[in-house]
Amino acid sequence: MSARTVLVVEDGTEYIEAFRRLAGAGEHFEFLRAGDAQEARRILAERPVDAIFLDVTFDRIAPERLEGAIEPLTERFGGDRRRAERHLASQQGFYVAAALADAIPRGTRVFIAFDFSSEPERLEALRKRLPELEGMREGTPISRVLDRMRESRPMSDSV
Amino acid sequence: MILRPALLAFCVASASAGDEARVADACYGDPSALVREAEDRLQMGPGSDREAREQARQLYRSARRQGASIAELLRAADLAETDGDLEEAGDLLSRAAEMDPSRLAASDLLLLAFRAEGRGRRREAIAEYEELRRRLRTTGDDAAWISARIDQLEVEIEADGIVSPAPPLAPPPEARLALAESQRALASGRLREARGNVELALRLSPSYVEALVTLGALETREKRPSQAIRAYRSALKADPQRFEALVGLAHLLWSAPDRRAKEESLALLDRAVSLRPEVRSLLRTSAARWAEWGDAQRALERLDAYRKGATEAERRETDPLREALTRPVRGEIEEPPEAAAATEAPTAASEHWRMAQVYLQRGDPASIDAALLHLAEAERIDPRFAPAPELASAIYEKRGDRAAAETALRRAVRADPSRASSYERLATLLSRDRARSLEAESVWRQADEAGSTEAAFYLGEAALRRGDRSRARVLLARYRAQSPDGAHAETATRALESLERSRRAWRTGEIALAALGLAAAGAALYRYRLGRTFAGWLAERESAAAAARPLVGRLRHEVLKHGGLVLSDGAAALERDEASPRREAASLLVERIYGAGAAGSEGLIAEAVAALRGIEGLAKESGARLNLRYRDPNFSPVFQGLESLRRVERDLRRIAGAGPGNPDSPRRRRRAAVSVRVAAERFQSVSGPELDRILDRAAGLALRAEWLRDLLSRVAAEKRCTAPVLELLGGWNGGPGSARLAVRITPGDWETIWRNLFANALLAGSREGRAVGRLGLAAESGRDPITGQALVRVTLADDAPGELDGETIRNRPADRGWGVVLELVRRHDGAIRIASPAPLAAGFRKGIVLELPAASA
Repeated sequence: MSARTVLVVEDGTEYIEAFRRLAGAGEHFEFLRAGDAQEARRILAERPVDAIFLDVTFDRIAPERLEGAIEPLTERFGGDRRRAERHLASQQGFYVAAALADAIPRGTRVFIAFDFSSEPERLEALRKRLPELEGMREGTPISRVLDRMRESRPMSDSV
Repeated sequence: MILRPALLAFCVASASAGDEARVADACYGDPSALVREAEDRLQMGPGSDREAREQARQLYRSARRQGASIAELLRAADLAETDGDLEEAGDLLSRAAEMDPSRLAASDLLLLAFRAEGRGRRREAIAEYEELRRRLRTTGDDAAWISARIDQLEVEIEADGIVSPAPPLAPPPEARLALAESQRALASGRLREARGNVELALRLSPSYVEALVTLGALETREKRPSQAIRAYRSALKADPQRFEALVGLAHLLWSAPDRRAKEESLALLDRAVSLRPEVRSLLRTSAARWAEWGDAQRALERLDAYRKGATEAERRETDPLREALTRPVRGEIEEPPEAAAATEAPTAASEHWRMAQVYLQRGDPASIDAALLHLAEAERIDPRFAPAPELASAIYEKRGDRAAAETALRRAVRADPSRASSYERLATLLSRDRARSLEAESVWRQADEAGSTEAAFYLGEAALRRGDRSRARVLLARYRAQSPDGAHAETATRALESLERSRRAWRTGEIALAALGLAAAGAALYRYRLGRTFAGWLAERESAAAAARPLVGRLRHEVLKHGGLVLSDGAAALERDEASPRREAASLLVERIYGAGAAGSEGLIAEAVAALRGIEGLAKESGARLNLRYRDPNFSPVFQGLESLRRVERDLRRIAGAGPGNPDSPRRRRRAAVSVRVAAERFQSVSGPELDRILDRAAGLALRAEWLRDLLSRVAAEKRCTAPVLELLGGWNGGPGSARLAVRITPGDWETIWRNLFANALLAGSREGRAVGRLGLAAESGRDPITGQALVRVTLADDAPGELDGETIRNRPADRGWGVVLELVRRHDGAIRIASPAPLAAGFRKGIVLELPAASA
């Protein structure tokens, strides 16, 4: 079995470390990391990946690296730029998904570390832009996520 | 002197006529002549037997004036007996017996015996019978009937010395109540009250035995021995078998510096012992007192009876006394004075009872049978005479027939339910059978109700056997207070001292244990019962939901998401055969759970604790104490999981650092795997969406157009202006007037926002010198285009002229108007903007759009 390449987009290394260190023996995965949307776009442009894993919160990178239109958001929040930045940081995974939607080849699994189990309509709304999007229920172990990544097609809304 | 015939004839005539007055002294000068004449008269024909005998008897009487020989006495007695004058015959025979009893015939002796019996001179009759019996035995005649007769007389003599119990007279309820009050007061040391009540009981029922016994105890306690003695004597007059009265009086009399008093005391104590042979302390006391009195034999008898059932220690204690009891007795032991006679005439039933007493004391089988017959007769004569069946039970008991004894005592109880002694004896009988101890205790309670003092002692012992120390203490103390010189006073005192010692010995431990127990109970109470749940707190403090939401989000992120991500797989990796994956897994777990050091995150535990403390702190600020650890079903698993992870830290670090020179053990790996897996399972049982629902329930508000219209009216009234009509514009789901939209905001903040919005709208109109024309309300649901989050937008459109933009409202002070609105909107993660009214409806100039996250409706 050929190794499957997974692009992990996170502002830290928690996920990729977890993937790498807990992947079982014989697992054929190559994990790539991107620290923001731009880096992820670059990687996607350089090589194909089998799956993308998106962290949601990016509160450890500089605001200027955050994906999303800060000005409208600031306006939306009544001129509160800081609030707009905080919003972008806390919801960055969604903004990254939106920003990469055009760059992600069709059929590429996109996992976002968000539990949609109580908001299935929300996932449906996001899949309009990114059909391969899947959420991750809280408590899902790494092995389960990897299992999903191995599958060729998404079997359910969330892992 | 020999009388001349004429004079003799005159004397005879006079004597015959019974005219003693005419008989001159000269006539008596020759009694033999009178006797001869008397005999001559008797020799006359049968037709004049009676008259002749009468004349002869007169002559003989006259003759006796000057003395008579025994032959003349006997002859005169014959004549009298023939005439049926047994009285004179007896007198004459009695005179003859004094002169020479051997001259009396057996019939004469019998006559004398009958005469004595008739006169109630039993001892005299016995003497005559005994002489008769001797005479008959000499002649070889049957004398058995005489022995029986003598025995009967002896019994009657002994019975005369026994005091009859008073006729049964049940005390009225008021008297019994007064006695009960008196006994309670006495036990509590309220002596004046005790006296008042016992005196009342006795006024109502003067022969109330239990009241008299209580009075005796009271007088003893108040150191009035004379009065106490009087009370006890009165009690014994009413009931000679009253055990407590016997013992109480015996003790009092023994203390008196009076020989007769001491003698009586000894007798009373012996009576008490005979009633209650099982009260061994009395035997010992009796032995000691007899020894002190100087009667070694009696003292020895009682001492040996005591030692028969004594323990080794008790025998050792009494060895010196036994050895000392060797001195011969000097002096007479006087018969104890007779007990005070009953003031009331003995009834027939009581007579039989006394007879039975005597037979019982004899002890031989025939006597016991006789006793039972008398008692049965007593019961037949007076079924209410309880002493009869009571004594019968004692007889049956002596015979070993407990069933009959019990039956008899139950008859006694029925005969007189107010008689405490019957209950006492029944309870004592039942207590001899261990299997009936509960029944015995029940009867003791009845005795207690009937006024028995002794009952308190036995009930106290029963409580002690059950382990009910506090009850035992109360009862034994009551007994001791009511009967300070009672038969069981010494035993009660020892028991109370022992209880007190135990109580003191345990006290320190008890205090410590109580403190520990209290602390433990308090801790348990605090732990499991006190404190609020998260949901319960938010239901009452909905305003805290906005502040609590990010804390819950942090907890979900760190514990549920990241914890769930690595824990289960990490646990599985710890049990792998290869060392490298094990080390990698352990190392990862250490970093994630406990922190990666200075450069890294705080770790799952630290992050979770911070979030939990934050939530608890929020509650504390609102005056509530949360018990998330033990009471909250959503948070409790988190605490449990954290605890499991804390315990496994050392093992994980050892596994992570294991190497060729520092191998880890399979046991450690298994243990670590188990702990980590437990934590994973605990975290998995927590539902993040459920926590969101709790938050939404607390801070979720369904939009109601009618509510907004009502608010508008109120605000207009407050502003003293006319409320414009609030037009519902498109976007209300479900039609105008109702909307199934819900927003995440607290009702209070929602109202504040709209108050300000309405007030500003009305103010704008007034500044322009006109009332606000139109106000429109629109609401719609939507989603954030990027995040997909559900939002609700509510627009307030107006037709007021003037410029109002975002910059304008942004710069308003936060403490009023727009400033307040902005702050509240921000707090609830909402947004507000000024929108063009164009999409809304014609005629409106602008719209204020309020955007808030949607809540689950």
